[in-house]
Amino acid sequence: MLETYRGTYFHPRTQFITIDAEGNVLESDNVLFSLKKGDAIGTLSAFFEGLAAYFDVAEDNDIKFTCIHLENRDKQEFTCDIEFKTFANEQPTLIIIHDFSDHYKYYQEVAQSRNESVINSQVLELQNKYLKEKEDFKNTFIANFSHELRNPLTGVTAFCSVLQKTNMSTEQQDYVEVIKSSADHLKNMIGDILQMSKIEVGKLTIEEELFSFHELIEMLEFTYSVKAKQKNIEFELDFDENIPRFFEGDKTRIKQVFENLLENAFKFTSTGKVTLSIQQNQRRARKVNLNISVQDTGIGIPTEKLELIFNSFTQLNNSQKYSGTGLGLSIVKGLVDLMDGKITVESEEGVGSTFKMNINFKYPINQESTSLENKSDIESKNFLSKQKYNILLAEDSELAQMAVLKILAQEGHFFLDIISNGEDVIESVIHNEYDLILMDIRMPGTNGDELTKMIRSLPVQNCKTIPILAITANLFDDDKKRYKKMGMNDIIEKPFDETTLLKKIYKYLK
Amino acid sequence: MKASKKIILLGHFGVGKSSLIRQFVENTFTSDYKVTIGVHILKKEVEIAPDETVSLIIWDLEGYDDIKKTRASYLLGTHGFIYVFDITRPATFENLENDIEYLTNQYTNTPLKVVGNKADLVTKTYLKENKDTFGIKPDYFTSAKTGDKVDDLFTTLAKELVK
Repeated sequence: MLETYRGTYFHPRTQFITIDAEGNVLESDNVLFSLKKGDAIGTLSAFFEGLAAYFDVAEDNDIKFTCIHLENRDKQEFTCDIEFKTFANEQPTLIIIHDFSDHYKYYQEVAQSRNESVINSQVLELQNKYLKEKEDFKNTFIANFSHELRNPLTGVTAFCSVLQKTNMSTEQQDYVEVIKSSADHLKNMIGDILQMSKIEVGKLTIEEELFSFHELIEMLEFTYSVKAKQKNIEFELDFDENIPRFFEGDKTRIKQVFENLLENAFKFTSTGKVTLSIQQNQRRARKVNLNISVQDTGIGIPTEKLELIFNSFTQLNNSQKYSGTGLGLSIVKGLVDLMDGKITVESEEGVGSTFKMNINFKYPINQESTSLENKSDIESKNFLSKQKYNILLAEDSELAQMAVLKILAQEGHFFLDIISNGEDVIESVIHNEYDLILMDIRMPGTNGDELTKMIRSLPVQNCKTIPILAITANLFDDDKKRYKKMGMNDIIEKPFDETTLLKKIYKYLK
Repeated sequence: MKASKKIILLGHFGVGKSSLIRQFVENTFTSDYKVTIGVHILKKEVEIAPDETVSLIIWDLEGYDDIKKTRASYLLGTHGFIYVFDITRPATFENLENDIEYLTNQYTNTPLKVVGNKADLVTKTYLKENKDTFGIKPDYFTSAKTGDKVDDLFTTLAKELVK
C-alpha cells in the first residue's frame, strides 16, 4: 500500500547530474531541468561557470550552496540548494540540485516584511534627525541674524533721541518722530523673531518676580480703551476682583501674552467689540488658577485653518491689509506652554474669535504687607553725591561710541573715556579711577565678559565693587547668566535708547 | 577561450545591490523593493578593449548587516568584490571600515570596489562635503536609478580583473 501511496503522492524534487572535467553533462535524470548529454553545465545557469575551477579537481570535495535561484528553459524560477561533489578516484563530478522553492518563497516573504520595517524605521529616524537639524539651523540663523540687525538699529534709535533734543523745525521734529517710530517697530519685530527662535531652541526661561497683577491689568485696560476709541470699536474688561493683587511670575512675559492676544484681536476687528475676561477658577495653597479669554468680533478664522494658527510665520490672511511677522500668536503659545498653561481657540469666520487660556500663577500668602519698589531709577539722579563721574566705555563700534558720548554729554555729569580694543581696557582700569564701566561683549582682543573677570581679580582698590554694565545684543539666557557669573552687575540691551541707558547708569552710581 | 570572472556584490539589505546589477545588465530600474534571499546570478559580456570582452558572472547576494555572516561557499572562486552601501542610511555604512578591513585581510589580492549608492537622493555638494563621514572614501558614488557611474564601476572592475 505504501508503495501505491508513494507512487501517487511522491514527486521527486531532486535532480542528479554528472559532468566531465570540462563541465559537460555526462548523465542527468532531468527531474527539474532538461539537459542532454554533452550540454555545457553553464547553459543551465551562470552559477556553474563560477565553479569552473573545480570541474577537474581530483579530490574528495563536497561543496554545498543554499538558496540559489535557477531558471529552466521556460523561464520558470526555482530556488534550490546545490551540492557539488568531486571525488579523489576517477568518478565523475556529481551535482545534486534540491528544489526548495516553496520553503524559500515563505522565507522570502518573511525577510521582505522584516527588511521593509527595519528600513522604514531607519528612514523615519533619519527624517526626524534632518528635520531637527534644519530647525536648529533656522533658529540659530535667525538668532544670529537678528543680533546683527540690533547693532545698526542701536545707532538709529540712540541718535533719534539725541536729534530730538537739538533745535529743529516742527517739520523736522515730525520726520524724526517717523524715523523713531519706524525704528521702534523694526526693533519690536526683530525682538519677536529673536524671542520665537529662543522659545524654539528652549533657551527662553520664565523669571519669577513679585509684581502687581491688578496694576498690570489696569494698565492694559487704559491702553486698550484708548486704542478702542481711536479705532471706533468697544473694549470691555471683565475682571474678577477676587484674584490676588500680587503674583510671583514673569511680568514681562505675562504682559506680552496679553498684549499679543489683544493686539491680534484689535488688528482683525474693525467693528464691534474686544472683550478681555479674567476669572479666578480656583485657589489652592499658593497657586491661583485663572481662566482668561480674549474675544473679538473680527474676521474670524476658517475651521480648516484653526490648527495652523499657532504656527510661526503663519498669517492666515495673506492680503497686504494686515501687517506683521505672523509670530505674535506662536510666541503666545510658546510662552503659555513655558508657564505650563493651556491655550485654545474657537472661531467662526465673519463672526469672531475667542482665545481661551488656563494658567496657574503663584502668589504670596501675605498680600497686605507686600510692597514694591516704585522708585524710578532715573529719578535717582537727584541723589547723586558727586559733581562729575568718570565712566569708561569699552566698545569697538564707532556708532555705539558716538551714541553713548552724545547721550552722556547732554547730562553734564560725566567724563567719558572710550577704548575700542579689549586689550587696552585692563591698563586703563589700573591707571584711572572709574565710577562705572560700560562694557561691550564682542570686542577685538578680549571679550567683555572675560575682561570683567580679569578686572574683578585685579589687586586694585574698587575693582571688586566698581559697577560694570554689559552693552550687548547677545541676549540668550545662557549669555546673561554668564555675564553675571563673570562679575557684571547688569545688562543694557542693544538697541538701547537714551532713557534705558541713563536709567541703568544712574541706578548704579552713588 | 573568453575570460569569465566571478564578482560578488556585498552590503546591507536595501542598499540597491540588485538594482545596480539590473541597471548594468538590463538598463532598467524599479523603485519597488524586493528582498533578495540567497543568491541571484546574472551574466554580462563587457567590452574592456576593442575586440576584447570579458564575461562577468555577477553574484547578487542577500544583504546582511554583518559581512561575516555571508555563507563561505558563495565566496569560493571570487575574482572581485563590490561592497555597496546606501549613502542616505548610516546603518549601512556604520561598519564600513571594519567590513572593508575584513575583506582585504581575508581576500588580500582580490580587487574590491567600495560604492555609495543612491547618489540621486542627495546633491553633489552634499557628497563633496560629507565624503569623510563614511569612514572610508568610496571609489564610486552611483545611482542605480539614473545609471550614473554604474557602467563605469563594472567596466573598471572588469578591466582590473583581466590585468
